[in-house]
Amino acid sequence: MPRIFFIKVGQNYIIIMSAAPGSAMDSLSAALKCNIIPNQEYLLQGSVLDQYVEVLLHRLRGLCDNVDSGPESFHDHELSFALRAQGSGAAPMVLPLRVRRALDSPESPWQLRYVGQQELGDKNRPTVVRSSIDMACSSTIVEFLTELGCRMDFEYIARGYMFRKGRMKITVSKIFKMGNMNTKPGEGVEPISQSYLVELSVLAPTGQDAIAEDMRIFAEQLRPLVQLEKIDYKRLGNMS
Amino acid sequence: MQQREEKQLEFALDNIIQRVNDLKTSIASMIMKVENEYENLNWPNFLDNYALISGQLTALSKVLSHDKCPVLRNLTVLPLLLSPERDEQLAQSTEGRVTTFAHDLVPDYLRTKLEPMAETKMLQIEHKAGNLTYENAQKQVAAYQKVVVHVWDIVNKAREEWEVESSSRGNTQQNSSVADTHLLVAAVGMGKGLKMGTSPNGNPTSGGMMVAPQNRPGGSGGSVPIPPNTQSVPMNKAPSTIKTNIKSANQIHPYGR
Repeated sequence: MPRIFFIKVGQNYIIIMSAAPGSAMDSLSAALKCNIIPNQEYLLQGSVLDQYVEVLLHRLRGLCDNVDSGPESFHDHELSFALRAQGSGAAPMVLPLRVRRALDSPESPWQLRYVGQQELGDKNRPTVVRSSIDMACSSTIVEFLTELGCRMDFEYIARGYMFRKGRMKITVSKIFKMGNMNTKPGEGVEPISQSYLVELSVLAPTGQDAIAEDMRIFAEQLRPLVQLEKIDYKRLGNMS
Repeated sequence: MQQREEKQLEFALDNIIQRVNDLKTSIASMIMKVENEYENLNWPNFLDNYALISGQLTALSKVLSHDKCPVLRNLTVLPLLLSPERDEQLAQSTEGRVTTFAHDLVPDYLRTKLEPMAETKMLQIEHKAGNLTYENAQKQVAAYQKVVVHVWDIVNKAREEWEVESSSRGNTQQNSSVADTHLLVAAVGMGKGLKMGTSPNGNPTSGGMMVAPQNRPGGSGGSVPIPPNTQSVPMNKAPSTIKTNIKSANQIHPYGR
């Protein structure tokens, strides 16, 4: 019987599932102390209208590392689960967990990911920073999370291209809403907007803020095609 | 008579040396600028320098072609004494560039003919040119003219297109929409507009109901995730087209909502 632990790191939580809890927790906290776990995601987001996506892909092909192999395409299904627990305060504590799987390569492992609260920081910080832990898992993760009490919050399909530039990852993806319940994922889906979502991200251990500056410079090179920016989720939440 | 010619020659040489010195200093200052101020050297400044040099070159060639200037070509420079020793006077007058008047340098500095290889090549070409008939030459000129005009047209056309494109880009190019960015980010980050059961008029949803797997084809085996069928708060507004097997999920696990 695996056991599950939640470790609070700053404002965020890390989940450990382990059969031997003591040792796992010890080694994890040791690893955390040594700053070898890439648990911070530096993120910039933007979008590009459908008719200009070819121009953007062309420019990315020129700027990024994987030139000879061409852009890597992906077709993923992402499910966002939420674990709601009554916290000490009045507001219930919500722990989001994301499950992602590749529809175009069914034999690949699934991915479970925790994404923490984003920190915008002040004006001098070029990117959004949020904690992020991800791991590979099998397809039974959905049942497991359901048993755990997680509920699926929402799901979507992302289809697009991935580029690399050093440690930076650039994705250009179309986001689709799942069709009605009677269709399989990947069928009967509809795009939610006339634009492609563009994300520039780096996963790095805590304290490697220098990478953010590289990202700012890279984002600068994509202007005015895409405006990659720090986007405040809280402000978006208030928008109607 | 001879004295007058000598005077004239001296005067002309002084003049030429002065012009050449002017030219030398402005070239030196230009090189200085390019090497040391390349960071803040602007284009107009650079062109000014260039114009100065080109003006000095014109002045020099005017002096040389002046009718009072003796024909320098008719004068001979004769090396009288070659010496491998260092010649201080020579070094000083050449600013340290030439320190000895020796056999390995003199042929280069006092050369009045082309190098033998270049000379034979020139001769060949001149010979070939001399052998051309007038009609043939005319034909070739016409052909070149045609090619040049054609290229000129292509370049002009490309420039026109380029200018139109760049001017139109400056005005109206809108490659991304802020609204779409926000929509996409909110959807991916918070599930805005993606949550199941959210009715178009924006009814709040309450999670917690489960749909039996048989409602999803291919849902057996549990590999396909089962989304909870969240229903709008008034129960009678639940979509009736989907047969649901509702069981209360609240009691299954300890976390409640």
